[in-house]
Amino acid sequence: MARLVIHGGNALHGEVRISGAKNSALAIIVAAALATEGESVLENIPHDSDVGTICLILRSLGVEAWFDSQGRLHVNGKTLNRYQAPYDLVRKMRASFYCAGLLIGRLGRAEVPLPGGCAIGSRPVDFHIRGFSQMGADITIEHGFMKAQCNDLRGANYYINRSSVGTTINMMIAAILAKGTTVLENVAKEPEIVDLAIFLNGMGAKVRGAGTDVIRIDGVESLHGIEYSIIPDRIEAGTFMFAAAITGGDIIVKDIVLEHLRSPIIKIEEAGAIIEKGTTEVRVRVNGQLQPIDLETSPYPGFPTDLQQPLVAAMCLADGASVIRENIFDRFRYVDELRRMGADIRVERETAIIRGVPQLTGAPVEVTDLRAGAALVIAGLAASGRTEIYGLDIIDRGYENLEEKFRNLGADIAREETREVTDIFSQIQRVNV
Amino acid sequence: MKDKTTVFRSNVWETQSVVSSVLSQVYQALQEKGYNPVGQIVGYLMSGDPTYITSHRDARNLITQLDRDQILEEMVTKFLHK
Repeated sequence: MARLVIHGGNALHGEVRISGAKNSALAIIVAAALATEGESVLENIPHDSDVGTICLILRSLGVEAWFDSQGRLHVNGKTLNRYQAPYDLVRKMRASFYCAGLLIGRLGRAEVPLPGGCAIGSRPVDFHIRGFSQMGADITIEHGFMKAQCNDLRGANYYINRSSVGTTINMMIAAILAKGTTVLENVAKEPEIVDLAIFLNGMGAKVRGAGTDVIRIDGVESLHGIEYSIIPDRIEAGTFMFAAAITGGDIIVKDIVLEHLRSPIIKIEEAGAIIEKGTTEVRVRVNGQLQPIDLETSPYPGFPTDLQQPLVAAMCLADGASVIRENIFDRFRYVDELRRMGADIRVERETAIIRGVPQLTGAPVEVTDLRAGAALVIAGLAASGRTEIYGLDIIDRGYENLEEKFRNLGADIAREETREVTDIFSQIQRVNV
Repeated sequence: MKDKTTVFRSNVWETQSVVSSVLSQVYQALQEKGYNPVGQIVGYLMSGDPTYITSHRDARNLITQLDRDQILEEMVTKFLHK
């Protein structure tokens, strides 16, 4: 078992390059397998464990997916020939359910376990299933699996009851090879949706309206592989911006799309950071104490729920009380861990009230979900003394080389292997002997 | 940090020519990168997401210097010959 050990108190300085967006990569990797002619070569794919998992799932379905020596991912869907996705892989993350759209679209048949993912509240896949049904698929739920079959997938009009990134992506993937036109209404407008649409159109699809409320897809007969570079990860970029803010640092976050970070930049400026924008980079500087802020999370272009936790961590040392309302997910479980570090946070239903304290103190803490992990790292960077963060496998799901990037900015942070599990088993062995 | 801000617009005729020039440059950049230029430009104008526009030949930076409504106004005006 690994843990992160941080000795906090160093202000971050320097430059950090942002990796490709995990949430975009997962959708695009699956969508790449829609093509039956040629392989797609994907650049800027983050090497995190979620990407590894989706590649393994695709391989289990017969798709070729492999990294070359330059870190580019090659995906060839021509050999896709199996319709049953393995439970032990799919349960690890929610995005693996995109395979349902792929299999229904390509093979007209899918058996996919209902997915797992971060512990941030119930997120049923009803909207996906309803959409597949509307396109003519017969769906049953049996023994934890969604089983879908259709002879003739056809375009449909589908209004998604609650704007959902996952549903939008899955429906887009399913509709590309369907007969006729699909109109998806009340879709998510996140940059990852636009990235997927641009990729699909490059492969020969006909997708219009991505980034707006309505997406229209004219089904095509086949797709071909292309070379494509994934957009930068706006959540990783925001994580570094808030880390710089809480440590009183001065960093340049490079290789970003500024427009995708509009709301985090506005809020961090409101908190007292000095922002300088370049074409593809932003400099974040903080002199003195952060000011408290109020905000609500909301779908893009609002403040992203994935940055709520890093923001709350940063507000723990602000000069006053911040009020943060979480409107998307049940996402305050990590607050107990921040309290262990001395944070003063009260949670009332969907709202956290954070009273700034003069100092956080290092402590052993446990990661409860991916972005909570980022929040604990941020708190640890600013805390006095030693912080130990357990549950790194969750952080590794969505951040590439996190500790290395922070170390390059001057943080005292290291990954250590612990021997706890081994020790427990060796003790049990001794007892038995 | 190098400031790449470009200031456009002084009068109506100059604005039209700037919009036209930027769109032509963006079109060419998208074409060179293998995209469907019209589809990508429409995607950008409808959504505001600059990802639609390639950074090849500085096209993304160029088009984001203009207001989208300014571009649309010029396009409609030109289309209707007003």
